[in-house]
Amino acid sequence: MVAFHLKTTALALAFAAGMATQGMAAEPTLDLVGPLSEYKLYVAENTAQLVTDTEAFVAAIKAGDVEKAKSLFAPTRMSYERIEPIAELFSDLDGAIDARADDYEKAEADEAFTGFHRIEYALWVESSTDPVQGYADQLLTDVKALDARINELTFPPEVVVGGAAALMEEVAATKISGEEDRYSRTDLWDFDANFAGSEKIYDLLKPLIAEKDPAFVTKTDANFKAVDDVLAKYRKDGGYVSYVELTDADRTVLSTRVNTLAEDLSTLRGMLGLN
Amino acid sequence: MGQSDRDTGPSRRRVLIGLGAGVAGAFAQEAAADAPMVNDAPHGDAQTAAQSVPFHGPHQAGITTPRPAAGIMVAFDLAITGPEDLDRMLRLLTERAEFLTQGGPVPERDPRLPPADSGLLGPVVAPDNQTITVALGDALFERFDWLRPLKPAHLQRMVQFPNDALVAGQCHGDMTIQFCANLQDTNIHALRDIMKNLSEFLVIRWMQQGDVPPVPPAPDGSTPSARNFFGFRDGSANPDSNDAALMDRIVWVGAEEPAWARGGSYQAVRLIRNFVERWDRTPLGEQERDFGRRKMSGAPLDGGPHATERDVPDYARDPEGKITPLDAHIRLANPRRPETEKNLILRRAFNYSNGVTKNGQLDQGLLFICYQADLDAGFIAVQNRLNGEKMEEYLKPFGGGYFFALPGVAGPGDYLGSGLIAAARSL
Ligand code: HEM
Repeated sequence: MVAFHLKTTALALAFAAGMATQGMAAEPTLDLVGPLSEYKLYVAENTAQLVTDTEAFVAAIKAGDVEKAKSLFAPTRMSYERIEPIAELFSDLDGAIDARADDYEKAEADEAFTGFHRIEYALWVESSTDPVQGYADQLLTDVKALDARINELTFPPEVVVGGAAALMEEVAATKISGEEDRYSRTDLWDFDANFAGSEKIYDLLKPLIAEKDPAFVTKTDANFKAVDDVLAKYRKDGGYVSYVELTDADRTVLSTRVNTLAEDLSTLRGMLGLN
Repeated sequence: MGQSDRDTGPSRRRVLIGLGAGVAGAFAQEAAADAPMVNDAPHGDAQTAAQSVPFHGPHQAGITTPRPAAGIMVAFDLAITGPEDLDRMLRLLTERAEFLTQGGPVPERDPRLPPADSGLLGPVVAPDNQTITVALGDALFERFDWLRPLKPAHLQRMVQFPNDALVAGQCHGDMTIQFCANLQDTNIHALRDIMKNLSEFLVIRWMQQGDVPPVPPAPDGSTPSARNFFGFRDGSANPDSNDAALMDRIVWVGAEEPAWARGGSYQAVRLIRNFVERWDRTPLGEQERDFGRRKMSGAPLDGGPHATERDVPDYARDPEGKITPLDAHIRLANPRRPETEKNLILRRAFNYSNGVTKNGQLDQGLLFICYQADLDAGFIAVQNRLNGEKMEEYLKPFGGGYFFALPGVAGPGDYLGSGLIAAARSL
């Protein structure tokens, strides 16, 4: 099937001419149309899920149910983390929804610190939903706005293709240390979502690169699998154990795989002829 | 920007200015254009940039080779599972190290792909005295059944000495790479190259950057030792690294080690903070007694007014320590008795400056590195003698570890640790 697909496309010609090697990029191709529209569907599903999950999460906060809200925190974030490269295109909303205390000079005490992590702080550190009633309302409004804006968006191909690596850069730069979900220690849920989001993009593009660069595909498949093998050790009850349980050795494995994936996936845009 | 760009910069400026000003004003304008501009790069030196240290040989470079002005010690954790991984990593590391130390053009790629090189040194990497010295840690040998039996006889995990305040994240590691070069940018370029090319194998555990201030030659033509952050000359009494027989005895491991390890050396690294504010408030006489040397000249205390740092102290004539206190740093570190000959080490330290502590004090100190043929008789014995020294009031060791610097790469086709891999495969 992959072979047939390639045979019928301009990209196949480019490949045949030996242009899509690591050293030389291919011309942009109409072939991206299929993967792009599939990715758009994937994102739409995730933002719809995000709205639904956030409604339940916010309802628990409005009801003052700290325990319920805690149990919904990590799963609710997953659909956001899977599509972060797209969500980040709207920096105002991304900041309001997902910024961390250290993005602000006054950290947790900063008025501008809102969204998931402000609520996380309330649930795990302040042990109360009282301080975040307003933030909860705002979160739901922001998430709905994000859903609406994304649905109207024409996805820039370079953002989608580059998103596979961008998600790995996120993990490498801000998550491997366990600083993302520092109050709840639910970082492994985020990892899972970031990897899933990256792998989704990679899987959609794989048919376009499989024939020309089988070594790339073998290596990248193996790296995603290595990540999954590590994460599998920490899965529990449909979710993940606390980040503090991650051993140093496993953190090293994750870190090397993340960096190698970032390194390799950073060539995807060029391989597919995108600037 | 390459050398050629820098060379054409001013002349291009001259041409442009000349065009604007007309012939009459051109001469004056030209003079102005030759005056240094705010953003002119500091003048580099093509000669030092071209200096290269041979990569092949029985020993790795960066141990007995002269210490250039800039160093970085980086400790890594390795994500390897078997000899095949280690083999692949060492081969790749050898390939990168050979290129980075010998220099050459970086490959060009299609601009739609990330460039193959960070570009920090321009299109042609100048060797700039770069050395890359690879050492393996106790942690690596201990982790694998297929490596443990091959561990060098004295390799062990660094343990806390009485004055230490070790920070877990700044200690130990599976492997270190010591980068040395004339310019720190050259080291940083090499580090980034290795991280980019070996990302699947390694993660940085800790690193420390340091410098040796360049020192002009003395009037007699000799090169004085550079000063550390206590303001004292550091390295005066170091064994002569040009004396091959001496190096064979005190630096390179020999027959008592596994065959694969011969030609290697034990590397002890210590990150030692200096409390410099307090030191600067200490009377000069006390500072000199603490070290056992004069601050300005570096001469031993028992020398006359014209003594130099190369003079050798005579402790036999001062058995009670009236001139050089018995607990002075140099007297404890090397009592210069026949039975302490076996404790000689080769020091290769860098000064570090890491900004400021929470208390508003300068975070400065010594990136202490030493090499020896026997870790127990070398660093460990010397440090045990130094325990309780006067200088401890001004020192706080907080990190480091013990590693084994691999034997050299014999020639093309060989690679770092090839003997270790062969031994592991035949276990
Ligand atoms: C921040 C810490 C340290 C500072 C500032 C320091 C400074 C000095 C200075 C100024 C000298 C005299 C000049 C010279 O021969 O180089 C010296 C000598 C020496 N130091 Fe240190 N040192 C430090 C740590 C250490 C450590 C940790 C060791 C080994 C355990 C050590 C071993 C030696 C030895 C063997 C000598 C030569 C003694 C001789 O042969 O006369 N030093 N050090």
